[in-house]
Amino acid sequence: MEILGTVIGVVVKSLIFIVGMFLAAAYLTLIERKFAGHVQQRPGPLHVGFHGLLQPIADALKVLTKEDIVPANVDRVLFYLASLLAFVPAIMILAVIPFGEPFTLFGIEIKPYITDLNVGLILALAFGSISIYGVIFAGWASNSKYPMIGGLRKAAVLIGYEVALGFAMVGPLMMAGSFSLREIVAAQDGFFGAFIWYQPIAFIVILFAILAETGRTPFDVQEAEAELVSGYNTEYSGMKFGLFPLAEWYIGTFVLSAIAVILFFGGWKGPQIFGFLSPFIWFFLKVAMMFMFFLWVHWTLPRYRVDQITEIAWKVMLPLSLLNIFITAIIILIKG
Amino acid sequence: MSIWIEKQKVEELKKLFSSVEVYEYRDVVWVEVDTQYIKNFLKFLKEDPNYSFKMFVDFTVVDHPLHNPRFQAVYILYSPDFNKRVIVKSWINGETHPTATDIWKGAKWAEREAYDMFGIRFEGHDNLVRMFLWETYPYFPLRKDFPKEGIKEVYLPSLNEGENIPSHDYDPYHTRVPTLEDLEITERKRINKQNQIVLNWGPLHPGTHGTIWFLFDMEGETIKNCDIILGQLHRGIEKLAEDLTYTQIIPYTDRMDYISAICSNVAYVNAVEKILDVEPPEKAKWIRTMMAELQRINSHLLWLGTTALDLGALTMFLYTFREREKLMDIIEGIAGIRLNSSFMRIGGVRYDLPEGAIEVIEHFIKDFPSRIKDYEDLLTKNRIWIKRNKDVGIVTKEDVYQYGLTGVMARSAGVPYDIRYIQPTDAYGEVDFEIPLGTVGDAYDRYLIRMEEMKQSLNIVRQCVDKLKTLENDKHIATENPYVLPTLQETFTSIEAMVKDFNLRIYGEQAPIGEVYLSGENPRGELGFYIVSKGEGKPYRLRIRSGAFYNLQAFPELIRGRTVADAVALLGSIDPVVGETDR
Repeated sequence: MEILGTVIGVVVKSLIFIVGMFLAAAYLTLIERKFAGHVQQRPGPLHVGFHGLLQPIADALKVLTKEDIVPANVDRVLFYLASLLAFVPAIMILAVIPFGEPFTLFGIEIKPYITDLNVGLILALAFGSISIYGVIFAGWASNSKYPMIGGLRKAAVLIGYEVALGFAMVGPLMMAGSFSLREIVAAQDGFFGAFIWYQPIAFIVILFAILAETGRTPFDVQEAEAELVSGYNTEYSGMKFGLFPLAEWYIGTFVLSAIAVILFFGGWKGPQIFGFLSPFIWFFLKVAMMFMFFLWVHWTLPRYRVDQITEIAWKVMLPLSLLNIFITAIIILIKG
Repeated sequence: MSIWIEKQKVEELKKLFSSVEVYEYRDVVWVEVDTQYIKNFLKFLKEDPNYSFKMFVDFTVVDHPLHNPRFQAVYILYSPDFNKRVIVKSWINGETHPTATDIWKGAKWAEREAYDMFGIRFEGHDNLVRMFLWETYPYFPLRKDFPKEGIKEVYLPSLNEGENIPSHDYDPYHTRVPTLEDLEITERKRINKQNQIVLNWGPLHPGTHGTIWFLFDMEGETIKNCDIILGQLHRGIEKLAEDLTYTQIIPYTDRMDYISAICSNVAYVNAVEKILDVEPPEKAKWIRTMMAELQRINSHLLWLGTTALDLGALTMFLYTFREREKLMDIIEGIAGIRLNSSFMRIGGVRYDLPEGAIEVIEHFIKDFPSRIKDYEDLLTKNRIWIKRNKDVGIVTKEDVYQYGLTGVMARSAGVPYDIRYIQPTDAYGEVDFEIPLGTVGDAYDRYLIRMEEMKQSLNIVRQCVDKLKTLENDKHIATENPYVLPTLQETFTSIEAMVKDFNLRIYGEQAPIGEVYLSGENPRGELGFYIVSKGEGKPYRLRIRSGAFYNLQAFPELIRGRTVADAVALLGSIDPVVGETDR
């Protein structure tokens, strides 16, 4: 019975998470468009619903009802697989992200996370890497020149930032002494306990890696529209196309922002001023701030060239993250 | 002081070359040389330190069907050391002529254009293929015996055929259009695939700013070889102009460089005024200068926005368009039309300044410097911007002379070639401005130069506004001149003006026999008009020397060995407008 209860609990929670993430992703598009609009001195979506509040739904309907064109000479299996491969792993990272401590509501203990694996962070990294295959496959399967260049560019960038990202995460991990995201949050006590004060270098490297992984502007070489039309997703249309930006720009950015918040900003910790909701409010507030930061960067800066990105990844970010591990280790040794 | 070489200095050449004839019209000086000496003559002019006509400006052909030999080649050269120009002409023996590409690389495309339009074969040209038309096209359209409406030979019946509706009574025969096979043959002729892939960058591509068709022969992402297929926007303006009066051509000049229509207008009307010997009133000159400078800021803003957009900075695009919109409104308020304003007239401008125009422009002058500062804050010291632009597409002084690069391309290499300065027209001789010069010659230099030019243009506009305040009650068009169209007011109030208006509109401005080359500083480079008049109301030959055409010619050389990402940055810094390159 206990197992059945757990299974039902996990299934229900997963459904809530997935549906919630879908809705959230839809409204993240609205946030992005509004944000970009205000950065660029225009109002953004304004006419569908109050201040464009129904715009995401209209967009979703539009994308879903568009004709889904599959070019004749594509590699069909990979072509269909690619958009799923970009989307599903991105949403699977949610399985290991905790949104707060367990709490009791109406006598039932509710855990606001799906699993609390002791290798949660590694799993998140692994899913993140798999989702890149979507882009690379899309580029290859399209059997067209622009998408192929876009996919290859992403592959080249991937190798650079993944290494730096992995090493940069070691710093907070060493301080927390665990891979479990819950325990990492638990290790950060109080305002000055947040790891951002101790691991600024790791934070910078991770910012770089998140921008690169989610394909946001200084590093959006794979879909540089002035060079490659639209890059890897040039041949896609309809919802198969829609899944790529949804996975990369919205779900990917959101989930990675959440991981960054957990690693550096004490997750859901904050003053208990909103009652039992305060962990959620703090967590989403912090994640929203991180998300907005990425939007801000995206809509301000020009774009690097591929070789310049790999240069930064290998020559700047990797040594920095290694240096960070070294410094952290020495401090831990001295302090005990 | 005239920019054209003194007649006696050219006369001295008679001692060296037996068959040299020197002619002069107004101050334009041209030399006629026998065909067999033409190459030695050009080489001599280029290399002799007393002449040193190092810079290639333009090459074209004029067709005289009743003369034997029929075609005449025309070279326009510039000597940067002496700040002098000269036109060299020679008759073409039959349909073959020695190439000048081994003297100036810039002659390459010009000769291809001559081959395309006149069917002249150039001996020694390394890849003599069509410039604008497709490879299998059998005619040479700029020849005088080619009908203006084209040769209708393809049967393309109307869908409404058979129904007896007069308005649907089309001719079922049409001029030739290229088929896919024709385009494939054209592509094959341009580039030989030697590496991994040939990327068709264009004709319709977000990065090309118009319909240019680039062919990149690539190894990975590195471009090993490149060629450009132009002509998707070729409208045959030169051919059309041969059948229009001088005033009727003005709207066509708008549609060449549609980003900076007023600058093209000004360059054209100045050339026509020179051949007609019309002097516009003082006020018109200042209005022209002011409008041209406003248009230059407008054009540079568009360039800044789109270049930043190409390099990924989306927001810059909307910021620059905010300012550009204000300029558009000013231009619309003065000229009545936003983009293709056709505001200039022979002998003046179309309208007087409307009430309040000066105040609006003054407000813009006050407001704009802070906006430029915003742009510079966002880009000038931005590491990514610098990394993307530094060392991309370096041009040297030698390149400038060889290719006939003009405008910002020339100035980025440190060559002070600015038509506003070396050959001032309108009020440019009286205003005070600086010419920013580059040191390296890369895309970043060109960015800095264009930013500085906007400030200088604003400075010129400020001086024009101050001057125009004192000229409030002057005439804006010299209607007393027999070549100048009367204003609408005059036409409706006096019968003489009505008759003059009728005559000029129907028979055109009867220009004296002669020829003139005059250029203006377009934001894209030197826009020159070479007009041959045979005493009719329309030009016998109107050659348009497009700055963007020659600037673009250096592109394949500059991009070799770099990546596609650099192609975007380089093309942005060359800033061609296809309407002008193709004409």
